[in-house]
Amino acid sequence: MKFLYKILLSTLVLGVISCTDVIEVEVPEGPIRLTIEASLDWEKGTAGNQQTILLSTSTPYFDSQRNSAVTGATVQVTNNNSRTVFTFTDQNDGSYTTNSFVPVIGNSYTLEVLYEGERYTATETMFAVSDFSSITQSKEDGEDDEALEVNVSFEDPADIENYYFLRFQSRNDQLPELFYVKDEFVDGNEVTFYYEKIEDEGENIKEFEPGDTVDIALLGISEDYHNYLRLLVEQFESAGDAFSATPVALVGNCINTDNPDNTPYGYFRVSEKVERSFTFE
Amino acid sequence: MTKTKERYTPIRLLMGLCLLLVSTAIYAQDNFTISGNVTDKINGETLFGTSIFLKGTTIGAITNEYGFYSLTAPKGSYTLVFSHLGYKEISMQVVLDQNQKIDTEIEEFSTMLDEVEVTAEEPERAILRKPEMSVSKLNIKTVKQMPVVLGEVDVIKSLQILPGVTNNGEGSSGFHVRGGAVDQNLVLLDEAIIYNTSHMLGFFSVFNADAVKDLKLYKGGIPAKFGGRVSSVLDVRQKDGNSKNFALTGGVGVISSRLAAEGPMFNDRGSFLVAGRGSYAHLLLKLAGEKNSVSFYDLNLKTNYSLNKNNKLFLSGYFGRDVFDFDGSFSSSYGNASGNLRWNHIFNDRLFSNLSLIYSKYDYELGIEDFEFDWISSIKNYNAKYDLKYYFSDAFKLDFGVSTIKYEFDPGQIKPTGPNSSINELQLDQKRALESAAYINAEHKLTDRLTAQYGLRFSHFNRMGGQPLSEYANDQPLVYNSTLRFYQRTDPISETIYKKSESIKKFSNFEPRLSLAYQLNDYSSVKLGYSRAAQYIHLLSNTSSVTPLDVWTPSGKYIKPQLSDQYALGYFRNFKDKMYSMEVEAYYKTVDNRIDYIDGSDLIGNNTIEREILNGESRAYGLELLLRKNEGPFTGWISYTLSKSEQRTFGGNAGGPGINNGSWYNTPHDRTHDISVTGAYQFNEKWSFGANAIFQTGRPVTYPNGQYEYEGISIASYSDRNADRLPAYYRLDVSATYKPNRRPDKKWKGEWVFGIYNVFNRKNAASISFGQNFETGANEATRTAIFGIVPSVTYNFKF
Repeated sequence: MKFLYKILLSTLVLGVISCTDVIEVEVPEGPIRLTIEASLDWEKGTAGNQQTILLSTSTPYFDSQRNSAVTGATVQVTNNNSRTVFTFTDQNDGSYTTNSFVPVIGNSYTLEVLYEGERYTATETMFAVSDFSSITQSKEDGEDDEALEVNVSFEDPADIENYYFLRFQSRNDQLPELFYVKDEFVDGNEVTFYYEKIEDEGENIKEFEPGDTVDIALLGISEDYHNYLRLLVEQFESAGDAFSATPVALVGNCINTDNPDNTPYGYFRVSEKVERSFTFE
Repeated sequence: MTKTKERYTPIRLLMGLCLLLVSTAIYAQDNFTISGNVTDKINGETLFGTSIFLKGTTIGAITNEYGFYSLTAPKGSYTLVFSHLGYKEISMQVVLDQNQKIDTEIEEFSTMLDEVEVTAEEPERAILRKPEMSVSKLNIKTVKQMPVVLGEVDVIKSLQILPGVTNNGEGSSGFHVRGGAVDQNLVLLDEAIIYNTSHMLGFFSVFNADAVKDLKLYKGGIPAKFGGRVSSVLDVRQKDGNSKNFALTGGVGVISSRLAAEGPMFNDRGSFLVAGRGSYAHLLLKLAGEKNSVSFYDLNLKTNYSLNKNNKLFLSGYFGRDVFDFDGSFSSSYGNASGNLRWNHIFNDRLFSNLSLIYSKYDYELGIEDFEFDWISSIKNYNAKYDLKYYFSDAFKLDFGVSTIKYEFDPGQIKPTGPNSSINELQLDQKRALESAAYINAEHKLTDRLTAQYGLRFSHFNRMGGQPLSEYANDQPLVYNSTLRFYQRTDPISETIYKKSESIKKFSNFEPRLSLAYQLNDYSSVKLGYSRAAQYIHLLSNTSSVTPLDVWTPSGKYIKPQLSDQYALGYFRNFKDKMYSMEVEAYYKTVDNRIDYIDGSDLIGNNTIEREILNGESRAYGLELLLRKNEGPFTGWISYTLSKSEQRTFGGNAGGPGINNGSWYNTPHDRTHDISVTGAYQFNEKWSFGANAIFQTGRPVTYPNGQYEYEGISIASYSDRNADRLPAYYRLDVSATYKPNRRPDKKWKGEWVFGIYNVFNRKNAASISFGQNFETGANEATRTAIFGIVPSVTYNFKF
């Protein structure tokens, strides 16, 4: 329902002579924590054996130096149904990889990371996803009737609760467009989302043009991860404005078993994924 | 049968108290009563707050909101004086040897628009003897003199420059009283509950100044006749309409225009008022090629009819609406509608009564074209009220009455609007409740110096059935996950369907109210007050500012009623023959069962709100100072508030430490310092000037304390809620009013109002948001400032 908030926001900006500018603000400095980006995504139709887990640390908010890769950690994932253990090898650049992962829909997996004498763990179940039913481009849909947008549709299976993560990344842009989807209001229907960029000179945002390519990924996810993403996306898009909730710490599924106060950031997800690239004509 | 018994409890209580009253009434033998109505000679409007007294005695009375007064004195000859500031004093000889009715018309010093000397109305001075405290009163004339943004006279904004009242920054709806939340204010327009006080998300108030007679804000010491909200009562009364002549008033401004017509009706047995206001900025925006539009309008109606000397009927209505359209992709509209039928009945010269039947409604509609669905939510209430006032003696007056409100909540429905809509139809559970109350309140002059006001309100809330309700294991809709360390929603284990005849939950509360005024000498007094209030309905809002789409929800199985206790102490003083006055008040207020929202709460379209909230508490305390200059060509005031407003929420039944680790944290409307200086200067007959200067501590916010990379983006980390603050807010506004030469015989009277809002063009941060730059990906802080310098011009007329 994030568009409800968007309406209020645009009202605020439009109704009056408001103005925005970038300013210097002094922000507090919190503790440095381990960040675990353990996204074991199994692309439909592939073996899914190659997987990467990223470890880094947090940095002060305005630090331009964001290269905070963590090396020297021990990383492994266990399939709790088959008890198979997959060991991830330290690539010394913050990434830990394996070639032997075996994805099984519905199985539960446990992640274990040992770093600086503390043990971090997380457990997640692998969720399936439906394939895209169509990917098209148009101008007349979306917010602006003259701007290009890409529309993606997929069929939601009826009578079961499904949660999705939909990610658009334009190859010309730094930032992705993220959607979290819950089938509560759309159960059993064909669901359509669009990604459209509205020109904004102040922020240097340009509309899509023919030739632009967008990478689109859709993942089946757990309810807890959906809730995590909802907060992540809401805060990423509008933290601080008067019509959004007080921003709060995101609580992922990774815990520190040795020192619970030193909670890591990030999430351990195990998902089936469909991925396409789309080039505007 | 326990149900029946409970229903009659308040009535019984009241009857008992009435008996007490009758038994004390016996000794009044050689006394006689003068009663009547006081009206304005020019337009026939009844006058509220006129003081009537017998010269040389301490016997006096003040007219009520319908202009009625009653005073009782021993047999004898007296000089009866009618005094109302800004009006010519009238005195007459009376021989009091029988009860008599004296209706009086009093005349203003000069007609409104030609007024040379600006004086504050009586209610705006420090009133020493009445125990009433923590009350802000503004005459609509004063409100109209203040400089305002875009030339729109705004009742609510005017209140915000008095002590103890703030808003949540420019562009936020509602107002905050003594650290309370927006939903803790009871806002009444001719007694009807108004659920949303703002147009255009807070830029303008819903009250059309041309239709308003007076307003009174009770910040504390709330009289027992009001209830249902824990922070304040804003009592706004509409004009009755000119009963002498037909008159037109209006104004043309930058954003909107107004027109009001009023005049006598029913062969001079009544009068009417019709006032309309509409914005047209959206038309200009359309011309300028802007595809999105915002507009609002409202309509006020009032008419009254005197059946005879002792019976008068009033009918009033309000309808207001905001409409937003975003280039056809989204459209939304929302507003209040209310109607009230009143019957004033004077039983005898000492017993005044009013019966009101009131309807009010707030609804919100949103249409999303892209996804082809409509979203609708509403709250409706039907209210019957019977209020009586018994003027027992000069030293003892009694208010008592009963009220019952039936609420209907429709928290939301979704309707697909096209064949291709991927959205399924959905109706959230509709809720019903009945809130009833009985009260009795005495104003008692104990000695010549000591006056007390004491009362008791008994309130009862019945959350009625007619809906299913989810049940949870161990009654825990939420449970603390101690491994992952957050509040986790639990799944319902079953559903109970409550029939319409059943009750889901009942609550009742006794709400004592007490205030005392001790007059130290002719020019100063000390007052103290205590009040307890219960609030049974709550506005669900987890954002820093409330929004029009927030929905109200009743107390019930999982949400407890809010209960507040407020203590206040004040010192009041007039200087230099009432030319200056000073009011100092300190208060301490606690609220139990204030709802708080868990991290990541999701309120929109949610049928199980109990899985998103915990019951917490809040407290607020502060010191308020108001210094006024009431007379002379230069009038104005300085107001200063030093305050603190915090909340705390433990885990309770859900376990765990609670929200924000169970520590106290600032509410979003906490303001340490709030200073405003307001002045009006009458230069000559043609020109007058006004200015406001405002300084406020910045709004509490939560800044990021670090960042980490995830999904290719920078994610901000946060710790304690509302531990940081926006930069301080300050602003200066000025206005000038020009009244062209006019001959006294000319009916048309016009004036030009020129204003400049935010003269220094200061970019006050309404919010600061944190995010990545779209182009470079670097983190940055972006300030949104709403109004820079805004010049305006408005033309007002009266015919």
